[in-house]
Amino acid sequence: MHELSMTTQIIDSVLEEAKKQDAKKVIEVHLIIGKMTFLGIEQVRFSYNILVEDTIMKGSKLIIEEQDGTIECPSCGYKGSLQFADDPAYHVPIPTLRCPKCGKAAKIVEGNECTIRSIRMLK
Amino acid sequence: MANLKEVVKGEEVTLEIEPGVDILEVNKQLAQKNMELLREHNVKAIDIMGSIGAGKTSLIEKLVQSLKQKYRIAVFKGDLTTTIDAERIGRHGVQVLTINTGRECHLDANVVARAVERISLEDIDLLFIENVGNLICPAEFPLGTEKRVVVVSVTEGPYMVVKHPFTFMNADVMVINKKDLAEIMKIDTEQLKKQVKEIKPDVKVAVTNALSGEGVEELIKALEL
Repeated sequence: MHELSMTTQIIDSVLEEAKKQDAKKVIEVHLIIGKMTFLGIEQVRFSYNILVEDTIMKGSKLIIEEQDGTIECPSCGYKGSLQFADDPAYHVPIPTLRCPKCGKAAKIVEGNECTIRSIRMLK
Repeated sequence: MANLKEVVKGEEVTLEIEPGVDILEVNKQLAQKNMELLREHNVKAIDIMGSIGAGKTSLIEKLVQSLKQKYRIAVFKGDLTTTIDAERIGRHGVQVLTINTGRECHLDANVVARAVERISLEDIDLLFIENVGNLICPAEFPLGTEKRVVVVSVTEGPYMVVKHPFTFMNADVMVINKKDLAEIMKIDTEQLKKQVKEIKPDVKVAVTNALSGEGVEELIKALEL
């Protein structure tokens, strides 16, 4: 829902870095977006293409890598991928923070990020 | 930016950023600062999230009525444009500050930090922050509160928990409001409780009727106030 403001921040950060590097053009941006964020990949792409229009990022390639959720249990130390439980009432898989090993509440350690990983530019 | 590795190939430069610049991290860091500042002043802050019309303001009114003898309370009221709700809460004799977000669908740690500057933290012990009415976006932006509450109401239908698991993963307390309408709406509140516990096993649940005040004591207990 806030892809536009998030993408604006991504582009501002990239442009700032490009300026520092005296780049003439940005040709590629590599992002990592966690699957546990509320960011829609399609909306990020849509916003990106509009927002780069009048900048040196125009025409740049946007690579988006999705990051799966990882949980860690503070009680028993389990670390692994986010688990899904079946809701018998509706038969839908729902993501759960229940530790598959000890049943206590685990914490999210990966999957909540929206990270700029690399920028390719021309000097 | 973090650690940069430059790879130069003729005119082309690739900046590899390790571990990368997390755009969401900026908010998380500001939230951490808010939390530290509030703790220094012994102010307990509570973020109250939920859909439009779930009953967030009515619940805050009831919480304020029950707790204003015990705590010195302030309320931040996030709204797109109006001050209608701020006036409702203000009637109970506590300090209310409206944060108008304009078009933004959530509060973030930065607007909360600006609001905190406008109140005297020495004069309060408890701060309720009512987020913008929205079950999704606010969850992504921690504000630096001790506890995060998600309010749902039975009139939102039977699927609001299973449809928004990531919202509830960020909650410490869930309120199921409008319990008096549960039967009419054919909603089994026990079922909702079970679902949210599956998503987040350590979440506390209170079932309320914010208009009559029923269940508000249960909520106060869940908030450890």
